[in-house]
Amino acid sequence: MGTLHDHPFLWFVIATLLPLASFTYLLLVGGVRNFARARRNHPAADAVYQGLGGDQPGRRAAYVGMAAIFLAFVCSAMGYVTYFVEHHRVEHESERIAEENEKLDHDLKSLRRKGRHFKGAEAKENSAKIAEIRKQIKENQQTVHESEERLEHRWSGSLLWARVWSSSAADPGSGNTLRIGARIDHLSGLMFVMVTFVATLIHLFSSGYMSDELDKQVEDHQVHGEDGGHFRRRGRFGRFFLFLSLFCFSMLNLLLADNLFQIFVSWELVGICSFLLIGFYYERTSATNAANKAFITNRVGDAGFIIGLLIVWTYLGTFNFEEMFSRLRAPVDMHHGHVHAHGGHHKQAVTDLTHRFVKADATKDIEGGKEMTMKAANEAGQYVVIMPRPMGGDHEDEGHQHYNAGELVDAKDRPKVGEHGYMPYWMLVVAGLGIFLGCVGKSAQFPLQVWLPDAMEGPTPVSALIHAATMVAAGVYLVGRCYPLFAPETLLTIAYTGGITLFVAATIAIVATDIKKVLAYSTVSQLGYMMLGLGVGGWAAGLFHLVTHAFFKALLFLGSGSVIYGCHHEQDMRKMGGLFPKMKITAISMLMGVFAIAGIPLFSGWYSKDAVLANAFGFIREHPQHVLLFVLPLITAGITTFYMFRMWFMTFAGRPKDHHVYDHAHETPWMMTTPLVLLAILSVGVAWGNPPWDASNSFMETQILHHAQPESVEVDFHDEHHAAHAGHDFAGGLALVMVVIGFSFAASTYWFGFLDPNESKEMFSGVHRFLSHKWYFDEAYSALFVRPAMAAAGWARWFDTNVVDGLVNGVGKSGLAVSRVHGFFDRVIVDGLVNVVAKVWYAIGSWLRVFQTGYIRSYVLFLGMAAAGIWLLLWVLTMAPAAQP
Amino acid sequence: MIGLEHYLFLGALLFVCGVVCMATKRNAIGVLIGVELVLNGANVNLVAFARYNPAFEIEGMIFSLLVIVLAAAEAAVALAIVLNFYNNHSTVDVDSAEELRG
Repeated sequence: MGTLHDHPFLWFVIATLLPLASFTYLLLVGGVRNFARARRNHPAADAVYQGLGGDQPGRRAAYVGMAAIFLAFVCSAMGYVTYFVEHHRVEHESERIAEENEKLDHDLKSLRRKGRHFKGAEAKENSAKIAEIRKQIKENQQTVHESEERLEHRWSGSLLWARVWSSSAADPGSGNTLRIGARIDHLSGLMFVMVTFVATLIHLFSSGYMSDELDKQVEDHQVHGEDGGHFRRRGRFGRFFLFLSLFCFSMLNLLLADNLFQIFVSWELVGICSFLLIGFYYERTSATNAANKAFITNRVGDAGFIIGLLIVWTYLGTFNFEEMFSRLRAPVDMHHGHVHAHGGHHKQAVTDLTHRFVKADATKDIEGGKEMTMKAANEAGQYVVIMPRPMGGDHEDEGHQHYNAGELVDAKDRPKVGEHGYMPYWMLVVAGLGIFLGCVGKSAQFPLQVWLPDAMEGPTPVSALIHAATMVAAGVYLVGRCYPLFAPETLLTIAYTGGITLFVAATIAIVATDIKKVLAYSTVSQLGYMMLGLGVGGWAAGLFHLVTHAFFKALLFLGSGSVIYGCHHEQDMRKMGGLFPKMKITAISMLMGVFAIAGIPLFSGWYSKDAVLANAFGFIREHPQHVLLFVLPLITAGITTFYMFRMWFMTFAGRPKDHHVYDHAHETPWMMTTPLVLLAILSVGVAWGNPPWDASNSFMETQILHHAQPESVEVDFHDEHHAAHAGHDFAGGLALVMVVIGFSFAASTYWFGFLDPNESKEMFSGVHRFLSHKWYFDEAYSALFVRPAMAAAGWARWFDTNVVDGLVNGVGKSGLAVSRVHGFFDRVIVDGLVNVVAKVWYAIGSWLRVFQTGYIRSYVLFLGMAAAGIWLLLWVLTMAPAAQP
Repeated sequence: MIGLEHYLFLGALLFVCGVVCMATKRNAIGVLIGVELVLNGANVNLVAFARYNPAFEIEGMIFSLLVIVLAAAEAAVALAIVLNFYNNHSTVDVDSAEELRG
């Protein structure tokens, strides 16, 4: 407990590890169960198998997963409340001290002014007073610094993971180590609470929604077996919760991380979990295709992410966020230029560089680097100066942070401790764009948005998890985390990407007829809002929208899951209608979600969308050439209202269109409606402030997210924020007009029936076709990438089968031919010789066999004949020489 | 005067008679008788040599005695074989004894 007391960030570490524990437990139990199942002929294995539930999937997996994520929610909520209180105390304290210092400063000035007229003892006394006040000011600053340091120390920590190369004694802090770390601030803390809360409700909902998987045999109506019947398989209830737990762990680890590399690891884990869950019904071709599409599309983005990581590592030598930012952004009190003294009065040519990129041009080459002329804050430069790495482990080297008026700086290629480095400015832009490309893939932004709607193939709770709390949130979160790393050019790209995405996706959502597809496109569109908000400098606004969106989108998805479950897996809105009396809880809670996403005043979406629009408005006030960045989201606000109400009216209002669906529709069980009600309450009130009707005074934005905002945001976007604040009501008013227009169109078409949707469909048939083909993105990608890739694969295959395999086969064939010759020689010549010898003897034996008749008389005859023969021979031999003479 | 030649002729005659008997008889007993004739033909020779050649006096008699013993043993063994054969095949025809042929 002592450790937890000293380092309360460990609450969040526990919250992260709980889903991992649940995942590990489920994995082990499932592994043992499957192992035993394969050997259940053996009595011991069968006992284990039956003990773990046998063929019947149990609910235990749901209980374990839910308990883990709920405890994680409790831990993170406790941790976050502690952080919130502590952070506010420290902030309050430092504000108080800052006020006191201001007063002291005032006293100091007046003393100085008076001091000019004093002489002698009076002057001495005065200067003593001045010295005392100065000391007091310094002490106060020290106190603030110390308490901030203590806060930082309590809420972050890290472990050495891997040393990439051993640092030399001359350069101990060369930073080439990878660390696993955790750092809690308002952003990650808030996200922790949001993610664990939403995930807990999704777990609860899933335990109802996935109850089909509890059967011994599940019939998949979308897959046909070879005999034409439906495909049957065992239920996979446990596996679903196994994946959910891993998903939650990955996302929480991503939030916890204090460095880019750890984020990258979790990032990939999130990717693989989405792959597994989208392809949960992997017998369906559409599901596996969607899973592959999601995974491959994300690979494109991740390629960019890796490029970004490489550049960051090469130039900054660290992945830790704080270190990266402190090296790229100028420290406090860094100024540019001299204070010129001209004939008695001072000419101020000084710009404050604090928290800005320090741009510079190279003046000449020096040993091991370049000498740079630093530029003022608003000037362009070819290079960015990288600030020195702090000395040693402790940050006690305050001395080197005073750069006043240092125009020239020596920047080294391989800066050691205390030396400046440099990187080309375009490299910084590329690094930012690369990291952003990763976010584009994860958060389904244009042009990589194509995977998200297809991801609807997964079970609906998974869609809710992906769309609300985990996968797509990761991209926006990362943009928010890496914000000080992004150059203005990168941010503009982010803003335009968001702007295009939100418009394109919203237009497609107008014509979608699948209830989940409407929600999918609305997610893409809302993510566009977040990106746009971040891109135009509304750091807090974009992330604010992320959090509110998580609640109402989880609500909408779970609501649609409830509708789909209640209608027995019917997803086509054209077959629904009039479901309101049948599913009141679902309908009303979904209506809350629709109000929130449409931006009806006092609902959570209103605050966040207004904040994004106000920031966009502030941005175009300062940069009128980018007027599209305000017009697009404004129009889309109307479109959003239209398609969301269209969805609600088509589903719940009007007359039932398909009596088969209507008659069998029913309200869903409590474990599915409870999350809906809770989320509905939060969708309404999560963004309220004091008073709730002040759109610009949401508690979450002003009291939480603004405190997490990196200092560089306020520096880079000072004027824009000012304009945004001034134009908040104007932008909000315009948005409200759009909402009213959108609502009246939706209501008159789908509720009152003044307009016939089919008629307008005929009238704009070209537009309709264009939109229902999703702007032909899939077709274009198919023609541009998929088919060329397939063709290239075909060529590669041809090359492989004909050339590579041909070579191998040729070698094989020539070997075969040689061995044939060899075999012939062996068979005919070598074996032939041996065989001939054997054959000769065989023939002799066969011939001799004739004489062995087995008859005694023949043997006697031979004996007699032989005797006679021998006698004759002897006679001839003896007689012949005798006869000769 | 009866000399060595006459005995040798008698022995040769007996020998040839035995060989012819062995070659022509199909009855196992007949073949056995042929064998006896051959052996006794040889015996006549041995005894004749023992009588007419002083250097061969003892050896001739011992050889002939040996042949008689051998003939007796042979007759015993052969008759046992023939009896067994008869038990199995109800015949003593040597031509039907062909089961050992390879």
